[in-house]
Amino acid sequence: MDYVLSLILFIPLIGAALTLLFAKSRESARMVAFVSSAISFVLTIMIYLQFKSGLAFLEFQFIDKIPWMDYMGISYYLGVDGVSMPLILLNAILCPLTIIYVWGENKQPNQFFALILVLQAGVFGVFMALDFFLFYIFWELTLIPLYFLISIWGGPNKDYAAIKFFIYTHVASLVMVLGIFALYFSTGVNTFEIPVLLQAFSDIASPEMRVGIFLALFFGFLVKMPTVPFHTWLPDAHVEAPTAGSVLLAGVLLKMGGYGLFRVLLPMMDGLGPYRSDIITLMAVLAVVSILYATFLALAQKDLKKMVAYSSVAHMGYVMLGAAAFNYMSVSGAMFQQFSHGLITAVLFMSVGVIQHSVHTRIIPDLGGLADRMPKLAFLMMCGFMASLGLPAMSGFIAEFMVLTGSYLTLPIYALIAMLGIVATAGYHLWALQRAMFGSYNEKLGEPHDLANFELIPMAILVLLIILFGVYPGSVMEMFEYASKIIPGVMI
Amino acid sequence: MNYIELASQFAPELILTIGALAIMMIGLFLANSQKKVLGYLATIFLAVASLVIVCRGIYDIQMEGILADSLTIDPMSQFFKLTFLVVSLIVVIASIKEYDGHQNQDEYYTLILLGTIGMMVVASAIDIVTMFIGFELASLSTYALAGFNKKDSNSLEAAVKYFIVGALSSTLLLFGLSYIYGMSGGLTNISELAVFFNSNPTVLQSPMGVIALMLIVAGFGFKMALVPFHMWAPDTYQGAPTVISALLAAGSKKMAFVAAFRIFLVAMIAIKIDIAMVFMILAIITMTLGNVVALSQRSLKRMLAYSSVAQAGYISMVFVVMSPEALTGGILYVMSHAFMKTGAFIAVAALGYMLLKENSNAKDVDHLDNFAGLGKRSPFLAFSIMIFLFALAGIPPTAGFVSKFILFYSVLQGGFLLLVIFAILNSALSLYYYARVVKYMYVLPPSSDEKLKVPGAYALAILLAIIGVLAIGIVPEPFVNWAANAANVLGL
Repeated sequence: MDYVLSLILFIPLIGAALTLLFAKSRESARMVAFVSSAISFVLTIMIYLQFKSGLAFLEFQFIDKIPWMDYMGISYYLGVDGVSMPLILLNAILCPLTIIYVWGENKQPNQFFALILVLQAGVFGVFMALDFFLFYIFWELTLIPLYFLISIWGGPNKDYAAIKFFIYTHVASLVMVLGIFALYFSTGVNTFEIPVLLQAFSDIASPEMRVGIFLALFFGFLVKMPTVPFHTWLPDAHVEAPTAGSVLLAGVLLKMGGYGLFRVLLPMMDGLGPYRSDIITLMAVLAVVSILYATFLALAQKDLKKMVAYSSVAHMGYVMLGAAAFNYMSVSGAMFQQFSHGLITAVLFMSVGVIQHSVHTRIIPDLGGLADRMPKLAFLMMCGFMASLGLPAMSGFIAEFMVLTGSYLTLPIYALIAMLGIVATAGYHLWALQRAMFGSYNEKLGEPHDLANFELIPMAILVLLIILFGVYPGSVMEMFEYASKIIPGVMI
Repeated sequence: MNYIELASQFAPELILTIGALAIMMIGLFLANSQKKVLGYLATIFLAVASLVIVCRGIYDIQMEGILADSLTIDPMSQFFKLTFLVVSLIVVIASIKEYDGHQNQDEYYTLILLGTIGMMVVASAIDIVTMFIGFELASLSTYALAGFNKKDSNSLEAAVKYFIVGALSSTLLLFGLSYIYGMSGGLTNISELAVFFNSNPTVLQSPMGVIALMLIVAGFGFKMALVPFHMWAPDTYQGAPTVISALLAAGSKKMAFVAAFRIFLVAMIAIKIDIAMVFMILAIITMTLGNVVALSQRSLKRMLAYSSVAQAGYISMVFVVMSPEALTGGILYVMSHAFMKTGAFIAVAALGYMLLKENSNAKDVDHLDNFAGLGKRSPFLAFSIMIFLFALAGIPPTAGFVSKFILFYSVLQGGFLLLVIFAILNSALSLYYYARVVKYMYVLPPSSDEKLKVPGAYALAILLAIIGVLAIGIVPEPFVNWAANAANVLGL
């Protein structure tokens, strides 16, 4: 089991190379892609079953470490703990399902599937890397496949969206690199290992330096999440991206930003000294503004996909709020929100993708009564929408409930304001559902076809998982509880 | 030291000299159609010379003051010699196809070999007169090469511009160096100059010293194509035969850097502070102007020329920081940039060759529109151009990323935060025009569906450059150690 993480990481990359070079036909491309991501999935399940919860702070499992550039203290260093394990699991689940969902892709299928696999490998790398240099490599590696997914398979305005996405997030990454360098130099430990740097962070003499480092890293994660006012690339990218791109973008890529919060920033909180409360206020304000602003924007959207995109911004706001509240319940809730939102948003984007595919429009007023002709879609989409608005017995409810309850303990005012968002969230979800799916069928839409099997299977699996984790959250919750407990300074 | 020992020390240079003479002689007896064999000969001579350098040892070799203290063989000289040899090797391999059947092939290969010898002399020189002679040998050869397509007015214009500016900069440089010679009381050896100026720092601050420095900075500024001395570079790189542009950007320009490293970092260390300010301004305007102007270019050669200007701006940060770490970064950057730029120019040359073969009247073969849909017409060429461009932009896992990372890291270590921020913003800006080419190749539809077959010689040359780019990116350790060893030589 020594190299299992490397295997999980590299099998999709090898699959991508095979797909690109040898699998020229659609049939072989999707088969190779599915098999390689399925192998990664099986391996991930294996480490999940062997995973030991209840370790201490910065104690990692399945470590894989090879020196790389000793000159600067850089090594190839992988490992998992409670913070990363659920997200690795999420990535391992979502990618094969996405590949099934796009089973019918016709346009340059081998490139398409190869890019999905590269994306999967990049995201795995981000969640596994324990060396900042490696972390940054994977962080940047995820940009390239998504750039191509948007710019080749995207909608009419794809050029603009792809370049905007690329440059926006690249600039944020570069600011993050500045933070990493500053952290490296001011701690003087001569290593890029994240655990060592985290422990050395509070030894940095100047408090201003510590805040500077924190803010530089924070900015990198903030744009990725994304948080208002740095969110503008996301709706554009989502609207133009093909469904698979949207699913992976919202499902796992945004989670990288949240992961950065938990992996890097929260453990640094205690080292901020006198500035700690200011930072917490900043995070809380950003979170609440994101939740409310994005929710109201979603309310105003006519394009179903744009609405879902804004709802992503709002939901990631809960992650930020939970992190800011910084207590055991809110942080576990925020981590759970990451996991749960990954599943839910995948269902939503897949539903929108099916509608687009089937009736060639996503504009809500032009739809109507789709449930008549597409009952399977209507059912699964409704499940997704209900989960997204936080209906009990769905995973979204548990997550948001924990975030809000937890936040109320330490940031009562912010929690109360954020709750206003919930009402509006319910509003736009139900409103959109009612106008798009129910009522009398709009005959102008022609004869839509209901879900094909390759669309039905991934969506059904996702809905089952959403309900499973909603009814029985313990299966993953345990991991988050331990993970939030081990972050130093988290209040019980 | 007897002649045999001396000859063995300079075996690579001697091999090339013999090669140059042999090619000139053999060329006399060959018909135009047979002259292709000269290309193979030049390839063999360059390959053998590179092998000799590699076998000689590149890490621990250290021979000071050979031939009346005019030359040295140290890790730094070996590093640059190998870089120049490999660049010339790649250029020659690509030329075999480009100039097949051309009547002046013998002169062509002779000039490349002679130019390479000149560059190697500069890399070894520790005496300002010897250095100047090496400079002129390399420059005179490349002036002729830039105008090699006699019937093409652009090529002639390129050569004339390059010649006039080159001659002017040589004069400025020589003038400045003669002042130094006079002020120091007749010293030409760089390390003796360093000792002299360190014990008499006021000399360089006198009016005459300042004039001398200004002349030297301007002379090198022209050769390194730093703004505002860069005007010739875009016209020359665009007009010259594309394979020669590769040699100019990756070879002769880099020669100026190694000379400047030796002179500025060693001899001028006494007035570090004053000259740092000058170079800070030069570096900032160079990278900014280079990138901003590159944004609007539609000719790929011109875009690469401006990007080369910008990259020179990054490298010249070394003169600001003047630390061993920065020098390591700078040296590594020079090698990475040599691979990336050679590869990019050769790939453009290959496309030009194929387009001209398809339609002999084709104009402006390096225009961006010709890259539309290249991903479909020639997957290999498009993919390699993509790798070179992403490497130039600094995306992992390529040489460009590693060397940028180390360079920026060292500048930050030197405490120049503002400079790094400028470099980072510029780096983000550059992504736009690199990504635009990638977009053209993969997103836009091709003008014709006919596949383009990359000739074997070009493919081999491109492959060599890709190996270089990826090797430094994926296993950077040996290269970094080597660069660090080279940097130690100057004893900063």
